[in-house]
Amino acid sequence: MALKLETINIPHLPASLPVHVALYRNVQNSAFLRQQLLAGNAEFEYAFIDASLIAESFRKLGIADSTKDLLIVKVSVTPEITHDSVAAHLESSVEGTSVPFDDMTLSEISDITKIKKLYKLGALPSPAAKPDASQPHQDEARRRLELSMLGAIALRGS
Amino acid sequence: MIAIGMEGSANKLGVGIMLHPEDGSPPQVLANIRHTYVSPPGEGFLPKDTARHHRAWVVKLVKKSLKEARVSVDDVDCICFTKGPGMGAPLQSVVVAARMLSLLWNKPLVGVNHCVGHIEMGRLITGATNPVVLYVSGGNTQVIAYSSQRYRIFGETLDIAVGNCLDRFARTLHISNDPAPGYNIEQLAKQGKQLVDLPYVVKGMDVSFSGLLAAIDGLAAQWGLGGEEAAKEDADKQASTAGETQIIPETDGKPTRADLCFSLQETVFSMLVEITERAMAHVGSKQVLIVGGVGSNERLQEMMGIMARDRGGSVYATDERFCIDNGIMIAQAGMLAYQTGFRTPLKESTCTQRFRTDEVFVKWRED
Amino acid sequence: MADEYKPPALPSPFTNTTPAPTLLAQGAEAHLYKTVSLDPSIPAALKVRPSKPYRHPVLDRRLTRQRIIQEARCLVKLVREGVSVPAVLAMDWEGQGAEESAWGGAWLMMEWVEGPVVRVVLEQWEAWMKKNAASLDESQLQKEEDRVRGLMKRIGHTLGGLHKAGVVHGDLTTSNLMLRSPAQDTTDSPTGVSMEGEVVLIDFGLAGQSTQDEDRAVDLYVLERAIGSTHPRSEPSFEEVLHGYRESHKGTGSTLKRLEDVRMRGRKRSMIG
Repeated sequence: MALKLETINIPHLPASLPVHVALYRNVQNSAFLRQQLLAGNAEFEYAFIDASLIAESFRKLGIADSTKDLLIVKVSVTPEITHDSVAAHLESSVEGTSVPFDDMTLSEISDITKIKKLYKLGALPSPAAKPDASQPHQDEARRRLELSMLGAIALRGS
Repeated sequence: MIAIGMEGSANKLGVGIMLHPEDGSPPQVLANIRHTYVSPPGEGFLPKDTARHHRAWVVKLVKKSLKEARVSVDDVDCICFTKGPGMGAPLQSVVVAARMLSLLWNKPLVGVNHCVGHIEMGRLITGATNPVVLYVSGGNTQVIAYSSQRYRIFGETLDIAVGNCLDRFARTLHISNDPAPGYNIEQLAKQGKQLVDLPYVVKGMDVSFSGLLAAIDGLAAQWGLGGEEAAKEDADKQASTAGETQIIPETDGKPTRADLCFSLQETVFSMLVEITERAMAHVGSKQVLIVGGVGSNERLQEMMGIMARDRGGSVYATDERFCIDNGIMIAQAGMLAYQTGFRTPLKESTCTQRFRTDEVFVKWRED
Repeated sequence: MADEYKPPALPSPFTNTTPAPTLLAQGAEAHLYKTVSLDPSIPAALKVRPSKPYRHPVLDRRLTRQRIIQEARCLVKLVREGVSVPAVLAMDWEGQGAEESAWGGAWLMMEWVEGPVVRVVLEQWEAWMKKNAASLDESQLQKEEDRVRGLMKRIGHTLGGLHKAGVVHGDLTTSNLMLRSPAQDTTDSPTGVSMEGEVVLIDFGLAGQSTQDEDRAVDLYVLERAIGSTHPRSEPSFEEVLHGYRESHKGTGSTLKRLEDVRMRGRKRSMIG
């Protein structure tokens, strides 16, 4: 199965800094990948941006030995990092099923209970696991949870 | 047309004579005389003493202004006086004088709102057509903008006026009231360097100064900077270092009297500029006019100027002749009303301590 | 004036943003831009609080930082509580670099709300009425009156929700109230001015967390005065704001009672220090 690696140009970053995002399910070698990050293997510099928060985010959000669903983000900070180089590296290193990086897939994966606990949003109504157009209030609940979470992230460190 | 204006709502007694030429050419100030009652350091001006001062000086000032203006009583069309707001006793002594002159000379009276006087004089002198007005004095702190024939108050102090806050702190520090406590605070503030943290209270377009005054009075007490002795010490130090190279002393975080004046000014003026800017944004105006005694403070004018420039606008301020309470502004506002047919019958020629700016129907503006 | 006016530069990273954010308004304390979120198809509002050169730098940093964080905290709380305000998407309060000369401002990226501010709605309505009210018959006049009163009531409802969530706005004017354009507008009025849509509260630059009757009453009083000074024709309908407010949740009685005191204080406020 071909790797579904998205290369995204963030409107607020220069065009020379595209971001590559891949989403995997059923990952088999999480322990190995985590070790590479912990060991600081330069070939495996993925995702973490705020250096002072690495420990914190790593514990809560980062890859664990038991991780099955994995989101991988890589910024092209040098011209050598391209879509193809990232794709090649991931294909050789990650043992799992590549799935599309989109809302539908993500909402199947996301653990609402965990998210609510992590961002102290326990009081909010929980949306259903899957978006359902026939249930507008479910959509509203999802929207509110999502926006509340974004707010909580923005406020971190204040 | 010629109007004589008489003002005495606080400790300044002012008489001014204004000519509005029949040919429609710009109004001319023929005389603008003021005499100020100055109280000793550490004291404010009491109503009864101020009223006595006004009674003692009003006739002299009227005579002198007529002489300076080279007009005779016959040339005068109306007598304008401050109806309010202000301190009761001083207002009363001037209104009695105005009434007497009205009867003596058989001239109509025109009662004028003191704040409107400031605004109209400011507009005339600066040429600002439709500015947001910051009116700051010992008794008033208001942000005003014109709309539908009223000068509407968009923001004001929720407790004491900014000038009162400055004056009272001058008393705490035992700073001279001559020529004005605010002026002396301004001079002392120029030597201040360290900014101390003071309460900054802005609510919408309103401000509050009482907590700030209590806090800075507390700091003065805490560091032993208040009272007559500290004032004397400070004066001696100034005298002994005059002409020498200034050595900046090790402060250990201890503020000086100058630091407190500096911090007080920086904080209260920031609050004033902020609410003025908010009013400008709200009404979509690019002009600011500062009136009232505190408006003569150069630091306030400078800060307001920077704000206005960054909004692509400009600040209009007058100098102490027109900024500080005076008679000519009463003549100007009175004349505008008089020309629309407004008269104050003798029976209604009273004064009032409370007279809000927005109570006046501005018949002379139609924009 | 000798000094040429130059709008302040955008903060990082928005100097890179393609397409460049468009300046919508220079408010009192902030510049409002329209830009996009991380997804270029989703619009976002960017509020930049530039450093204020008129203020002492120490005071300026203190106020800028304090206010942007305070604003974001209030918005985040209100989104959680389901009050209609723009959600916070991202922010920065440190400015660029820590050195004294650095750009000391702060920014806040928020959800984009499509629709007019109530100030414009009322201004357009008042302007039309001033010109054409004479041409309307009694029932049409009544209908117009009812529309304004209905809007006022919805505003009151929203304010009730705001206060119930434990937040006071601190700067309630009709410029800080928006109407989120509905998917379908059913307005039928000779004025052509729509008053439909969800009332959205914006600009929490002076907001704070409080459940005190005094603070809530001052909020209402500030709005009452703002409507009185900006929309004289709509002023009589302000009582509907209070009706809507009263209905919004239990316990508004003590706030409305306090409003009476606040009004009295306002009117009687001494003009002498």
